[in-house]
Formats: sequence, structure tokens, C-alpha cells
Amino acid sequence: MTVSDITVVEITDLGKFYPGAADAALSGVSLTVRRGEVVVLLGLSGSGKSTLLRHIDGLELPSSGSVRALGEEVPALRGTALRALRGRIGFIFQQFEIVGPLTVLENVLTGSLSTLRGPRIGIWTYPRALRLKALGHLDRVGLLERAYQRADTLSGGQQQRVAIARALMQDPEILLADEPVASLDPESSSQVMSLIREIAAERGLTVVCSLHQVELALGWGDRIIGLRAGQVVLDTTTDGLTRDQVMEIYGRVATTTRELQAIEQELSEVRDALLSEELQKDDLQKKDRERDEDAR
Amino acid sequence: MTLVERDRELKLADRVAAVKRPAPKPATIASVAVLASLVVLGVLSIGGLGFSLPEIIGSLNNIPQFVARTLPWAWPGWHYDRDSATLVSDGWAPVWSILAAIASTIGIVIAGTFLAFLVSIPIAYGAARNTTPHAVVLVICRALGIVARAIPAVAFASIFVFLFSLGPLPGILAFFLHSIGMISKMMADAIEQIDEGPRLAIRSTGGSKAQEFWSGVVPQALPAWIAVGLHRADINLRETVILGYVGVAGLGLELSNAIHVLNYRRAFPIVLMIIVLCILFEVVSSIVRSRMLGVRPIGNGIGDTMVRAAAKRSTKIAVAITKPGSTEARAVAIQASMKRPWTGERMASRVAVWVAALVIVGSFVASQAKWSDLLTFWGNLPILLKKDNLWPPTFGIYSPEQVVNAVFVTFQVAFAATLMSAILSIVIGSLAARNVAPNRYVRNGFRVLLLVTRGVPELILAIIFVIVTGLGAQAGTLALAIGGVGLLGKLIADSLEEVPNGPERAISALGATRPQVYFASTVPMSIPAFVSHLLYMLEQNVRAATLLGIVGGGGIGLFLIDSLRVSNYAQASMFIILITLLVIVIEAVAIGIRRALK
Repeated sequence: MTVSDITVVEITDLGKFYPGAADAALSGVSLTVRRGEVVVLLGLSGSGKSTLLRHIDGLELPSSGSVRALGEEVPALRGTALRALRGRIGFIFQQFEIVGPLTVLENVLTGSLSTLRGPRIGIWTYPRALRLKALGHLDRVGLLERAYQRADTLSGGQQQRVAIARALMQDPEILLADEPVASLDPESSSQVMSLIREIAAERGLTVVCSLHQVELALGWGDRIIGLRAGQVVLDTTTDGLTRDQVMEIYGRVATTTRELQAIEQELSEVRDALLSEELQKDDLQKKDRERDEDAR
Repeated sequence: MTLVERDRELKLADRVAAVKRPAPKPATIASVAVLASLVVLGVLSIGGLGFSLPEIIGSLNNIPQFVARTLPWAWPGWHYDRDSATLVSDGWAPVWSILAAIASTIGIVIAGTFLAFLVSIPIAYGAARNTTPHAVVLVICRALGIVARAIPAVAFASIFVFLFSLGPLPGILAFFLHSIGMISKMMADAIEQIDEGPRLAIRSTGGSKAQEFWSGVVPQALPAWIAVGLHRADINLRETVILGYVGVAGLGLELSNAIHVLNYRRAFPIVLMIIVLCILFEVVSSIVRSRMLGVRPIGNGIGDTMVRAAAKRSTKIAVAITKPGSTEARAVAIQASMKRPWTGERMASRVAVWVAALVIVGSFVASQAKWSDLLTFWGNLPILLKKDNLWPPTFGIYSPEQVVNAVFVTFQVAFAATLMSAILSIVIGSLAARNVAPNRYVRNGFRVLLLVTRGVPELILAIIFVIVTGLGAQAGTLALAIGGVGLLGKLIADSLEEVPNGPERAISALGATRPQVYFASTVPMSIPAFVSHLLYMLEQNVRAATLLGIVGGGGIGLFLIDSLRVSNYAQASMFIILITLLVIVIEAVAIGIRRALK
């Protein structure tokens, strides 16, 4: 794939402080992304990856510094201009964030909202051409036969593919992906990651994708940017890069209390997830028992 | 006892004495205070209302006489001939007119609730923290809701009856305005509970605020909204009875007319019709609500079986699409997918939409409202605004002492009724809880009892008690007490069942009997829920007690209905204001107490 010399994202000395938080979420972040690059943002949870991505799409306002995307100064944009820019940038979320009660097709169609005026509810309120296009994108992600199902009846991996189809509806120039596979099992993860990679290649898309697994990042991106405690600690191409080299710089070894906290947080999240799964299982069993009882 | 042992014991006694007793939590103090004051005030109120066992037993002796006055029931189309003591047919005309009254009642309820639903959408948008465009809008929208909720439907109705003359229209408008209060608040709650993620995703694609709302928020909140609307329609149907007393057309008016001329033979069939209508409506609305919450068609009924059969057929289409193939084949498949297959799900939802639309349009027709009045009533406004017609409010023929006394009685009724239903509900509710009842037949039996009690509107109970025991606060109290068991008993049973059952198992494992387990584990763990249910019940009872007077159950409502009866609107407006204020005060106090309990 060809990487051109045109800069599509330019971040200069970006800082973000949340009121009440002890540390800055981002400080002194500077980086540029050129058209056609596939970049991985690597870092532990709490290192500022999501915050950085959200700034590029204008979902967060910076405390200091500048964010330019597709030639526009993002924080300066308001109203229609901001929406137009967002229309040119696709965003994939960790939790998919598709609208459960709507059909799969309508979810994909919502990706075209920035080109339409006024609210839409129901598939038939979208123009025929857009419907055809949406079905095509659904076919691309392998979910054509699910078009008219409720979106919340799909598995996690399928939901994420719907979200990708929704982003494709925007005909995006940049695709931002915030931990797109963190909530998926390994099988769906690799499906989704290679789907994003393929689509990027087909369309010459610029992709910025945040991840926290080094293994996944190494084989996937052209370039890795490492974030730690809101600062860029690594920015290199992946050619000839070994896992150990990344680990050395990026380090799973905690060097600051903040990282310790992050690791702890991650562990407790995993614990919670396991626990809630267990509880749900219990709950289901209990419900089954009750149903049996009622049936008798 | 050796000296050493004695020494050890002394030391233990010292240590025991030195054990710190932490001060109870403020919430605990608050719940104990609430419980104690409810009991004390309840007992005082029961005494104050002049309840006495001999009298109650004495009134039981009235029952045969009462039954003689009510039997045989004169169903519409018949009347009782006193001389021959038989029922004489009146032909079909009265049957049609009662059917028209039923249709009109349902029409008024659905039309009014539907209008409230529509108007509540923008209000809820402004009143939900996560969608409101501005803090000022939030305050205004919430205030609108609070005011609408505080003014009873019957108060709106009596004003509109004055403006538009009798008929269905005042009822529709009264339900419309009053229901906005509850519907908009609960809609806003539903909006606040949505998952913000999809909304953010729509924003990230470049959607506008309106698009965010309709594509990201509404699809998530709609099932909850519809459930709220149906629930409110349920409540409104129960209130049509009281609107009939102030002149709104429908079954309530028929009942009020029959009772007015003391024709109980005609009244009781109407009472029965209202009860059946309420229960039917509730069953239908709960079926719809459970479907809205995404219950799958897994039953063995005709409907579910048909839906499943239809779903099977549609898989053919799905299979046809999935066949892999060349690019051309894919293009064909995409084209084919432009037509949405008629799956069972789609058919069901299409049918549901059409049925709903038909029902709503039908309601506007069936209510037989004279919508043209909306255009012509302005002519009445000058008369209305003329001095002393509606304004300034005045106590008129009532002395301030009488009014204060009536308010006092209203509170007595509420407290006495709450205590009575609490005692009954603890017994019945416990027996209706799975983890307390000795077996499931007992549990299900009491569940059914509670369900049936809940189905009977309290105002109907009040009317029955007024007929049996005569006018007055005692009839109202008994009606609220018994009517309240339906709700409070269910709430208690539910909260007993929700208690974590680990401790129960642990205590029964150490050899405790069922009652021991109940008092050692089940009850202590459900007390916080119990206190909050009791408070809710009290709040409901005060509201209901202000209105009971309208059907003859004593308290402040009596003054309102009497003022309306003699068309003294300046006096009526005073009592409407007073009742509204009372309701607002009660709600504020209840909110305050709930905060203290947390």
C-alpha cells in the first residue's frame, strides 16, 4: 500500500486535564499521520488512547494544544462544520455502540445521517440509493442475511462488523478505532482485525486504531505509537520490530504508580467480568428452577 | 467457682460492659421514626374516626337488608317493577346506550392518554438531564410535569365541564393535561436510563442533535415509553368513575346517575361492568407491555403458534440470500435484499402498528367528543372571568373551621387506612411470597387474591362501602384500607421474595422452623423496602382521600362536589386550589422523608 506525503492528522502539544483528576489525561502529545497509514496506538488502559482518538473526532475538547484533521482545526469547529468533519471520519467503539432495538440495516444507515437533513426513523425514511449502498456494505462485512434482524440479537463480533459497515456508510477518509476487539473473543477478534485491515487496503484508508495487546499490534499496523501516562513514549514503524523491543520501551513492567493502578484496574475489570458472568449463570439457573417449579 | 474462674468472669463482664455500641445510622433512626409515627397516628385516626367493633358488627347485620335492596340486579334493558317485584324488559335501546357509554369511556381514556403521550415527548426531551438543551429548559419542563401531576384530573374535568358543558370532551382534556405529569416524568427517566454509547456513535458519524435523539435515543426508550403510556391508560380508566360524578360522559356518569336516585339494582351491574372492564384492560395492557419488553413467542397459545409457523416459512428467503457466489451473484443478492422479507416478526409488528393505530383512531371516534367545542368555548371565557364566577376563590358557605376539620378528616382517613392495609398486607403479602408460604398452592392462591383486589378501583370500593355503611369517612377509610391491600400486599410479597436467600438457607440448615426463619432472616432483611412501600401507600392514600369525598367518602372532596352541584364555581375553585396544594405538600414531604431514609 502506498503512503502519500499528505498529512491528514496533525496533533501539536495536545494536553487534556479533567477537573478533579490528579494527573493530566494527555500532556504534550505531538504526532502526525499521513494519508494511507495504518497506525496502532498502544498503551495500557488509562494511558490516554481513547481520549486522544476522541479529540481527533471532536468528541472531546483539548485543554491546550492543537488538533488538525483533514485540514481543519477540530476544536474550532462548531455545528454544521463539525458534523461535516465527523462525517468524513469513521469511528469504531470498543462496545460497538449500535442501537440494539433497531434492525441491522437501519444501524448501518445511521452512518449516512451527516449527509441527510432532519431526523430519520425507520428504514424507509432513507433514500433508496443509500439503502442499496448499506446492503452492499453489509455484504462486505458478511452480514447481508442479517439485514432485517434486530441488532441486539447478534453476537459481539457480528455487532462490531455492523459498526464497521456503519462507518463505511460515511465513505470515511480516516477510520478511528478505539480498542475494537477488547470486548471480543480471540476468534472474532482476528476476524474483525483482518476485516479492518482489508477494508483499509481496498480503500486506501488512513486508520488509527488503539490496542493494548502488543502481539496483535505487531503483525497488524505499519507504525506503532506507544502511549504511557498520557505521553508518547514510542513512535516507530513496525518493520523489523520485535516483541521484546516493544516490551522494553513500552514495558509491561510498571514504572509509575499510575501504571500500577492501570494494571490493577485491568485485573479487577477481568475479575468483575468473570464474577458477573458467574452471577448471571446463577441467576439463569435460578430462573430455570423457578420456571420448572411454576410449570409443575 | 474458683477464684480464678470468678476473676475471669469479672473481667469478661468488664469487657462486655466496655463494648462500644455504635450510634444507629440516621437512615435506621428515620425508618424507626416513620414506622412508629405511622402506627401511633394510625391508631389515633382509627379512634378519631369513631371506628368501633360493635358498630362494625352491627353494620354486618345490615347486609341482608342491603342485599334485599340490591337484588335482583337490573341489567341494562331491564327495570325492576316494585309492585310485581319482577324485572320488566325495556327493549334493546338501553343496551345500545350502555354499550355506547362503554365505548365512550374507553375512547375518552385512550384519546386523552394518547394526546398526553404525544405532548410528553418534547417535554421529556427537555426534562431529561442528558438531552435537555439548557438548564432553564430543564427546570421549566420539570415544573410543567409537577404542576400537571399535582392538579387532580377531576379538578381539570370540573373546570372543563364548566367551560364546555357536559360530555366526553372535558374528560379527554382532563386526562390529557393531568397525565402529562406522570408520563413526561417517566419518559424523561427512561431517556436518562438509556445507554449513551449508541448516541455518541451517531454523533461521531456527524449526526445532528435531532438525529441523535431520533436514531440513538428514541429506539432505546420507546418500549419503556409505550409501557408508561399503557400503564397511565390503566390508571385513567380507573379514574373515569370519579369524572362521571362531575359530569363527564361514559360509564361513570351512568353509575353516578343510578346512585343519585338510589337505584342500586341498576348501579350494581354497572359497578360490575366497570370492574370487569378495568381487569380486562389491565390484562390486555400487560400482555402488550410484556411483548414490548421483548418476550419471545414461546407459548402454546394460538397467537404464538401462528407467529412461529410464519417465521419458519421465511427462512427460505434467508437461505436463498446466503448462498455464496460470484460478484454478480452478490449484486443480485443485494438487490434481492432490498425487499424486506415478511418474517413472522415483521408481520407481528406490522399488525401491532395497525391495530394500535386503529384503536387510537377508533377511540377518538368512539369517545363521541364534540371537538368543535374547542373552537366555540372562547365565548364562555368572559363569563368565566367575570368577578365572582370563578375568581376570587371563596370558602362560601363553609366556615374556616369546617374546612380545617375536613382537611383533618382527610388525613385521618389516610392514616387509618394505611395502618389497616399494612396489617392486612403483612399477613396476606407474606403468605403470597414464595419463600414464606408453606406451599405453592397457598402462595398462588393469595397472589390471585391480591391480583383481583388490585383490579377493583378504589373509588368503586368506596361507592360500595358508601352504599353499605352509609355516607361518611368510615366508608372511605374501609375502601382505601381494602383497596390498598391489593397493591401493598403485592409489594410486600415481592420484596420478601427478593430477599437474598442465603441466610434463610443457613438458618433453616441449623434446624430452625419456618416461622423462625421468617422472623430471623426474611423480615429483618426486607424492612427497608417495607418502610418505603408503606410511605408510598400513605402518599397514595392522602391523594385518594382528598377525592373520596366526591363519591361520599368524607373529607375535603365532599366540599368540592357540593360546590359543583350547586354550580358555585368560585367556591369550587377554592377547593380545587386547596386539594392541589395538599397534594403538592404531601409529595414534597414524602420526597423529604425518602431522602432521610437513604
